Amino acid sequence: MTLPRRIVAWLSPLLACLGLLAVWQVAAMLLATESVPTAWQAIRTVPEILGDPEQLGNILDSIRRMVIGLALAVAVSIPLGLAMGRSARVAAFFNPLLMMIYPVPKAALMPIIMLWLGVGDASKSLVIFLGVSLPVIYHSFQGARAVEEKMLWSGAAMGLSGIARMIRIVLPAALPEILTGCRTGLVLALITMVTSEMIARQSGAGNILFNAMDMAQYDTVFAMIIIIGALGIALDAAFDRLRRRLVRWAEPHQEILLGAS
Amino acid sequence: MNAPRLTTVLMGAAPILLVLLFWQGLCSFGYAPPALLPPPGRVLLRLVEQLGDSGFRDDIVATLWRLFAGFVIAVVLGVGIGLAAAVMPAVNAVVRPLVQVLAPLPKVALYPALIILFGFDHAAKITLVAADALFPILLSTYYGASMVEQKLVWSARAAGTPRPQLLLKVILPAALPSILTGCRIGLVISCIVVFLAEMISSTDGLGHLLVGAARTFQTVDMFVPLITISLLGLILNGLLYSLRKYLLRGFPEV
Repeated sequence: MTLPRRIVAWLSPLLACLGLLAVWQVAAMLLATESVPTAWQAIRTVPEILGDPEQLGNILDSIRRMVIGLALAVAVSIPLGLAMGRSARVAAFFNPLLMMIYPVPKAALMPIIMLWLGVGDASKSLVIFLGVSLPVIYHSFQGARAVEEKMLWSGAAMGLSGIARMIRIVLPAALPEILTGCRTGLVLALITMVTSEMIARQSGAGNILFNAMDMAQYDTVFAMIIIIGALGIALDAAFDRLRRRLVRWAEPHQEILLGAS
Repeated sequence: MNAPRLTTVLMGAAPILLVLLFWQGLCSFGYAPPALLPPPGRVLLRLVEQLGDSGFRDDIVATLWRLFAGFVIAVVLGVGIGLAAAVMPAVNAVVRPLVQVLAPLPKVALYPALIILFGFDHAAKITLVAADALFPILLSTYYGASMVEQKLVWSARAAGTPRPQLLLKVILPAALPSILTGCRIGLVISCIVVFLAEMISSTDGLGHLLVGAARTFQTVDMFVPLITISLLGLILNGLLYSLRKYLLRGFPEV
């Protein structure tokens, strides 16, 4: 460990990426079939896709929908989760319903929601909203439940009203846990985005990916996988920086990531 | 003890009933044409009717088989790699950056590649399920195993436990609560992913039923697989919960 920690922290994921790409390259060369391009071929296709204004517009559309769905979900889920965490009644009220909804693949609702809202932004953002909400609610719930009772009592003794206690004590205390939920939500949003677009083939990154698949343009397929994957990793890394900044005071926290659809 | 439990159950049932009532209301008062939103009664009847149909049961079996196969692979790999990474620094040094890169990667995007590699059959779907369920299980195993109290390990060593057995006798049991939490998340994910994989490309399974129904605008048939997967998820979750209770019977309430 002669290298400073910061450099190691940057270098090791990069090495892992390169390692994976190298494995891919070797495997593709060994397989030597038409349908599996080598890593290098796929990477070469990436600028072609990003340089095409239409394709780039598609990808940006996807990101816009994702941001809308994610923002709405976070805005709704955090207050709900906190309320559930602080009130046993609210928790008992919502818990079974949420348990029912949890194993339903949200992107599978796409065909039904499409019937109601059309194939446009509304239905895709709604599906992303649904997909993101549950982990955020769940983690906010867990976070709010673990808030130390004494802090709330002190707050009450100092004359904070219920809502003020919620915002000034429960919210900051639950923040590390909430942000873990948001991080999960971010990954989920990306997954739901891709899946919803490949079910409603109209525009977006998922559409490019699966259309290329249908037309046997395998270079594009693998290049899109790289683009979507890089997007996921970049968003996750950016969010992690933000999280560290916001909850610098918290002790290093278990960061269990769930990558689900 | 009984009375508060009953109110809890009633409180929990209320929103589900409300949703059903709202749904029924939308249909009865003509806000939603039955072609777009069939009344809940009809969906339920259709589900019961379908359960008697052997084709539908075959679809459920196909889905369950993929789900289990993927989930089991994920559990074996996740717990194995997680434990190894927690115990051996050398493994950790390799696994950690790989996980950092692979965990946030949207695995569905890999599905086309999996299809190309493994074909349209079970293998691609099982791999996708396993890939998606793996990371929560791996990470919770890792955290569980690295949080094991050092005193426990020392006591076991002092009592003469040979080093190789430490893993099985001390670390694995101590990490069990965390591992099971990861498994629970992995299970929910498996349910979701198997359905999606079947929707994207399949010739059988619940997801395929939904897509088939959507193509022919059979709205009732679209709701049936969704409700089935939701019920399956609930049942499997319940089973895992009982397993957890049984395995953790000596543990303090977690």
